[in-house]
Amino acid sequence: MSRTWTIKIILIIIFIAIMIQSGVQFYMHRHYQLEHLAGPGVTRVEKLSKYCKGLEGTMADTHVFWLEGKEEGGKMLMIANTHSNEPAALLTALIFLENAVIEKGTLIIIPQFNNSGSRGTRPGDGYPLYFEIPTEWGSKKFRMGNRDATPLEQWPDPDVYIHYPDKQLLSYLDIRNTNRTWPGRPNGALMEKVTFAAMEILRNEKVDLALDVHGAETMFPVTNCIVAPERSVRIATMATLVVKAREGFDNHVEPSPQGFRGLSHREIADFSDSLPFLLEAPIPFLDQPTGPKTEKLLLDGKDPFLLSLSKQQKLFVPYDETGWPMEKRVGQHCSVIQEIANQFSRKNAERAILIKNVPRYADVVTNGVGFYFHDPAKWTKDKIYLN
Amino acid sequence: MELQIGIILAIMVVAYAVAKWKKLSVELSMLVSAVVGGVAGAFIKTPPVNTLARHLIEGSFTYLDVILVFTTATIFMAIVSESGGVNYVVRATIKYFYNLRIIALILLMFIILIPGALTGAGSVSLLVVGAPTALALGYLGIPKKKVAAILFIVAGLSAAAPPVNIWAMILCAGTAIPYVGFELPLGIPVLLLGIFTMLTLGWKKEGTMDKQKALEDMPEVPEKMTWWRVLLPFLVFFGLVIAYRIWPFDMPILGLPLQFVIAALVALLVSPKKINILVLSRDTVKRLLPLLATIAVVGSLQQIMTATGVRGLLSFTVISIPLLLLYISLIFIIPISEGVLTYGAAAILGIPLIWYFDSIGLHATVVIAGLTLLWPLGDGLPPTALIGRLSVMVSDYKDSYWSFLKSTWLPWIVITMVGILMVIYSAKLSFLVRWSM
Amino acid sequence: MPIIMIIYYVITAYIVGMLIWNFVKEKKNIDDMILYLVILVPLVLRLLRVK
Repeated sequence: MSRTWTIKIILIIIFIAIMIQSGVQFYMHRHYQLEHLAGPGVTRVEKLSKYCKGLEGTMADTHVFWLEGKEEGGKMLMIANTHSNEPAALLTALIFLENAVIEKGTLIIIPQFNNSGSRGTRPGDGYPLYFEIPTEWGSKKFRMGNRDATPLEQWPDPDVYIHYPDKQLLSYLDIRNTNRTWPGRPNGALMEKVTFAAMEILRNEKVDLALDVHGAETMFPVTNCIVAPERSVRIATMATLVVKAREGFDNHVEPSPQGFRGLSHREIADFSDSLPFLLEAPIPFLDQPTGPKTEKLLLDGKDPFLLSLSKQQKLFVPYDETGWPMEKRVGQHCSVIQEIANQFSRKNAERAILIKNVPRYADVVTNGVGFYFHDPAKWTKDKIYLN
Repeated sequence: MELQIGIILAIMVVAYAVAKWKKLSVELSMLVSAVVGGVAGAFIKTPPVNTLARHLIEGSFTYLDVILVFTTATIFMAIVSESGGVNYVVRATIKYFYNLRIIALILLMFIILIPGALTGAGSVSLLVVGAPTALALGYLGIPKKKVAAILFIVAGLSAAAPPVNIWAMILCAGTAIPYVGFELPLGIPVLLLGIFTMLTLGWKKEGTMDKQKALEDMPEVPEKMTWWRVLLPFLVFFGLVIAYRIWPFDMPILGLPLQFVIAALVALLVSPKKINILVLSRDTVKRLLPLLATIAVVGSLQQIMTATGVRGLLSFTVISIPLLLLYISLIFIIPISEGVLTYGAAAILGIPLIWYFDSIGLHATVVIAGLTLLWPLGDGLPPTALIGRLSVMVSDYKDSYWSFLKSTWLPWIVITMVGILMVIYSAKLSFLVRWSM
Repeated sequence: MPIIMIIYYVITAYIVGMLIWNFVKEKKNIDDMILYLVILVPLVLRLLRVK
């Protein structure tokens, strides 16, 4: 064998070894199945594709859990993992899913709205592939996903994304972002089908409240808040005042901008009768000026650079040595969601949504998030859904 | 933690310098820097050593679609060139516009501006119309160094020009600012700066070549070559780009690579000359190797910088600079960040900068427009120098890269001044955004 | 899988083919051999639908 070919073969072996080592990690991550434990409140489970046939058989399809009360009332849809790199939303949804009991009305939960995004990673951003939440029975392992759907489901991107139906120009990346593809369309790109299916739930099932749960950087002005269009502002404002007074954490209201299209709160308001709310809790992990993107930073939110920037008054949330731990973020979401339902129910007794057995802010901060997750080994097998 | 990250950054810089000293190519030196940085980080488990390969490979996906665009666009233009289309166009330009210099220069400027403005990529401008424009400028008596300089600056402006400006789109997507109102804040400076560049670098005719001599010197064009054979592939390409703009909800999403492939097939069908597409594609990929490798490696470098915290340290340092000093630093920081990280720079430095400027009362849209005039300049700076190297490649300039870069000094300074002034006076210029909407 | 996505896999496979051809043809320059492989890795992983 010539010297050239010897070198070539050595190089090929090295590269194939690297490719296999990383390829196996990507494959395992994409196909890792998270167990969704359907709790006592769950009455039926559907797939999102029921509302848009184009999703059938794709990785964009996802579970829709119905928690129906004995007494009829209003309906609330909770969407989590619109952005799969903002995991406080998913953890909150799972706490509701495993524990909530509905006394009146209906709660619909989609824990992994952008399922494709949750099965991809974010190239260039150096995330860990997984994160683990400690529980009393061990730890529960989650995929760390991406903000956008993966190109394995939706490829190619256009050179520019033209939003339906307003024709506003958006970044080419945003065609895979399920918080830019609302209200969606049945024959559009895959992520437009995902949002269209959710719109169909809202319209067909006459859903009263639509909550899209997120996380936002501490340097982003729209963080630690409820984003609400005009007709949702009153309830949002009342909810923030009540949680501040009773539970002692800050949360403000941001208006949904008229001129920025594709966002859930904007398009749900304009294309359905539901009252939309987008919940943001701070997530330091997503800020640009942080140390390494580790699982620890994701969970405790402690970072020396952000601490220094806080002292320079360059953050939009209070920030000290305690960081922004996951329990605080999840706790806030739990309380704000319940308070929005309460405020709506107070003014609409006929359409009330009464949710019980879900922890509030102080409970989650004290007990930790994992305290509310149950052991799958001890759960009824046919009530475990893999996603 | 800050000290550890600082040490990793120093190790990465030293690794790059040693690799260059050992005469490795720019791309390999960047790869060495990324690998060494990752290994250094692994000592403190950021990233853990068993994830190092995954980070390197995952990073190389960051600009995967750009690899496809570059390859398909270049193969398309290689077919047009091989069929004699490029020479045909250059010959016609010289024949009709040789004596109308100012019109010829402005016409050529628009030819470079349009593909980049439509696609957001200066590289597409260079790959599609760079070679014929370079030849035409050469026959107008402009030396190759200045031709490369014109191509570099105008291609950069084309990327910043509306309707598609990828830096602005990345920033808007990352800062939740709508991508609207950019037509005038970007369009006016791009046109004025483009004309300024063409006139300052291209007005003076050098050499003694007259029209007749130029025409005689040009390569022969195949006999059967006609206007429609040249134009049809371009009409198909631009037709597909524009059709999606006009009927976005009826057209399937083809994406730039497929649009180039369709145009390439049309060019192949109408070529008066038989072309061996396999050999031509193989040679094109070989020619593109340094650029494709840079695109893959810069993604890995970006990922390792994030996983080690180096990226955060750089971002933190920039955000912490006092305001007045920050304005001045932008002159250097923006282009240099682009030179190191290409589009990644817009996310890493741009997003926190926009939030900060917005919070002190500047107008975010105008600030973004101003900054996106500066980013393309960095595409001429090492280590990546993507657009600079492409400009040199398509204009067939063979001398020192630095000498080419130096020849861009005047438009570079003027563009920088315009960009910085737009940032500082963004609030006063906000009427441009209102008038655009 | 939508037809356009299938075409993208074909385009990717074509580029992979060209890169491999160049790699095989390369006789002396080890730097270039490495660079061909560097570009090949993400393209091959995409073709295999791993990432």
